[in-house]
Amino acid sequence: MEVAATTLLNALTLISILALVGLGLTISFGLMNVTNLAHGEFVAIGAFSVYYIQSLGGSFWLGLMVAPLAGAAAGFILEWLILRHLYDRPVGAILATWGISLILQQSLELIFGLGAKPVVPPVDGVSDLGLITYPTYRLILISIAATTLLAVLLLLRRTGFGLDIRTVIQNREMAEAVGINTRRAFAVAFAFGAAVAGLAGALVSPLATVLPQMGVNYLANSFFVVIVGGAGSITGLLAGSSFVGGFTSILNYQISPSLAQALVLTAAIVLVRLRPNGFVPVGSRFS
Amino acid sequence: MRDPSWLIAFAIGLLLLALLPTWVDSYNLTVLRDALIFGLFAASLDFFWGRTGILCFGHSVFFGLGAYIMALVSMTPDIPLPSLLGLLAGITGAGLLAGAVGYFLFFGGVRGSYFTIVTLALSVIAQQVAVSWSSVTGGDTGLIGIPPLMFGGLDLSGDVASYFTVVALLATVLLGLWALSRGRWGRILTAISDNEMRAAALGHNAALRLTMTFVISASTAALAGALYVAMAGLVAPDLIGLLLATEVIVWVAVGGRGTLIGPVVGAVLVQRAQQEISSFNPSLWPLIIGCVFVLIVFLLPEGVLSIGTRIRALFRRGAA
Repeated sequence: MEVAATTLLNALTLISILALVGLGLTISFGLMNVTNLAHGEFVAIGAFSVYYIQSLGGSFWLGLMVAPLAGAAAGFILEWLILRHLYDRPVGAILATWGISLILQQSLELIFGLGAKPVVPPVDGVSDLGLITYPTYRLILISIAATTLLAVLLLLRRTGFGLDIRTVIQNREMAEAVGINTRRAFAVAFAFGAAVAGLAGALVSPLATVLPQMGVNYLANSFFVVIVGGAGSITGLLAGSSFVGGFTSILNYQISPSLAQALVLTAAIVLVRLRPNGFVPVGSRFS
Repeated sequence: MRDPSWLIAFAIGLLLLALLPTWVDSYNLTVLRDALIFGLFAASLDFFWGRTGILCFGHSVFFGLGAYIMALVSMTPDIPLPSLLGLLAGITGAGLLAGAVGYFLFFGGVRGSYFTIVTLALSVIAQQVAVSWSSVTGGDTGLIGIPPLMFGGLDLSGDVASYFTVVALLATVLLGLWALSRGRWGRILTAISDNEMRAAALGHNAALRLTMTFVISASTAALAGALYVAMAGLVAPDLIGLLLATEVIVWVAVGGRGTLIGPVVGAVLVQRAQQEISSFNPSLWPLIIGCVFVLIVFLLPEGVLSIGTRIRALFRRGAA
C-alpha cells in the first residue's frame, strides 16, 4: 500500500513535468505541423535560469519567475529568426531547429562551463500525508504544474485567443478565411509553449542534473507523449503524459531506467499501429 | 542527376580511389578508408531519405547494431568463418529491426515528422541500452579486440587490402542502390512521395514499399557498421548514438540529398574538416555542426554539389 502510494506520487511528478514540456510541442505540432527539436533547450534554459539567479544570491522563487520569461524570449527569437521562414518546409524546420539545439547547448556550456550545476530546493524535508511521507518540494511541484495546466485549459476554452488557437488547430485554411491571423497566433502560442517548458525546467532543476544537454531526454519523452496522446489537444496531452509517465514510474521499480525507456518506446510504437492519431485525435468530442 | 553524368562521376571517383594508394601513405589511406565506410553509411541514409523524402533521425541505430552484432559474433570463440557470419548476422539483425519499426509505423499510417521523431527517440534509447547493458556491450568503454576481416584463408587486414575491400564494397553497393533507385523501384517511390493516395490507387502498396526500402537502407547501414568495427578493432556506444545519427544527416545534406555519390563526398569532406577543427578546439565542433545545419537549410537546400549546377545556370543565363 505504501509502495503503491509512493509510486502514484512519483508518477504524478513525472506526469506533471511531461505535460508541461509536451504542451509547447503539441501546440507547434497541432497548429503549424512544425517539429521543434530545440524544445528541450527551453527546459535547459529554464533550469539554468534558476541556477543563475541562485548563484547571484536570489531565491528559488525568483528563479521560478524568471525561467518562463527566459523561455518565452528564446522561443520568440527562434520563431522570429527561423521557424516563420520554414512553415512550408517540415524537413527544413527539423534540421534547422536541431542546429539551433546544438548551438544553444554549446553556448550554455561556453557561458556556464562544464559539469552539472547545483540548484538548492526552496524547501527541505518531507510532509506527512497520513499513509506515507513524501518530499514536500515534489508536492509543491505537482501543485504548481496542475495549476498551470488548469490555467492553460481555461485560457484555451474561455478566452477569445483560445478560441482562435483551437480554430487554427482544427482547420488552418478555414481559420484564415474567417480572418484569424494564423501566423501571429502561432508566434504567440509558440512563445507561450516555450515559456511553459522553461517553467518545467525550473521546476525539475532541484531534482535533475542541470546540464546543457539535459534537454534531449525531455525532448524524446515529451514527443512520445504527443505521439501517443495525439497532437493539438490538452486532453490528448494529459492522456499521453499519464501513459508515458505512469508506465515509466511503475517500470522503474522493477527494472533499470534505460530498459524501462526502451519498453515505453516499444509500447508507444505499438500504440501508433493501433491508434494512428493518438488517444485523443483532433476533431473528436474531447479535443 | 541524369543517368550518363551519374555514371561518369561514379567512374571518375572510382578511378581516383583506385589510383590513390600509389601516392598516399598508409596512414592517410586508413583515414580515408574509415571515411569511406562512413560514406557508405551516408549513402544508405540517402537511399531512404533521398528517395522517399522521409527523414530517419536514428540511422545510427542500424549502423551501431551491425557494429555490435559483428563484434559479438566474430569474437565468439571457435566460430567458423567469424567475419562472414558476423557480417551476415549484423545485416540480418538490422534488417529485422527496420522491418519491425517499418511494419508498426508505415502500416500504421505514420509518415513525415512523426517518423523522424520516433527514430530520433530510438537512437537516444539505443545508446542508453548500449551503455547500461554492460555485461554484453561492455558499457561505456565498449568492446575491444575484434578480429579483422578474414574469409577462410583470405586475410584482408592489411592497410592496402582493407582499403580496396572497402572501395570495392562501396562501389558495388552504390551501383546496386543506384540501379534500384533509377529503375521501377525508384519510380514507384517517387510516385509515393509525390502523392501516396494516387500511387495507392494505381495498385501500389505504399506501406510495404516504404518498409522494404527502409529495410534495404538499414541493412546497408549495418554493413557499414560491421565493416567499421572489423577495421577499427573496437566498438563503443558512440557508434549507435544520437551524435552519429546527426552527423550522417549533415553528410547527406552537405553532399546533396538523392544523389548517392554526393553523400559519400560529403562524408569524406566533413570528416576531414572535423579533424582539422577538433585538433585545435574539440568543443567547437558541435557549435559548427549546429551552424552548418541552419546554413544548409537556408542557403543550400540541395547540398554543396549544387553550387556547380547553380553557377552553370548563372552562366547560361548570362550567355542568353
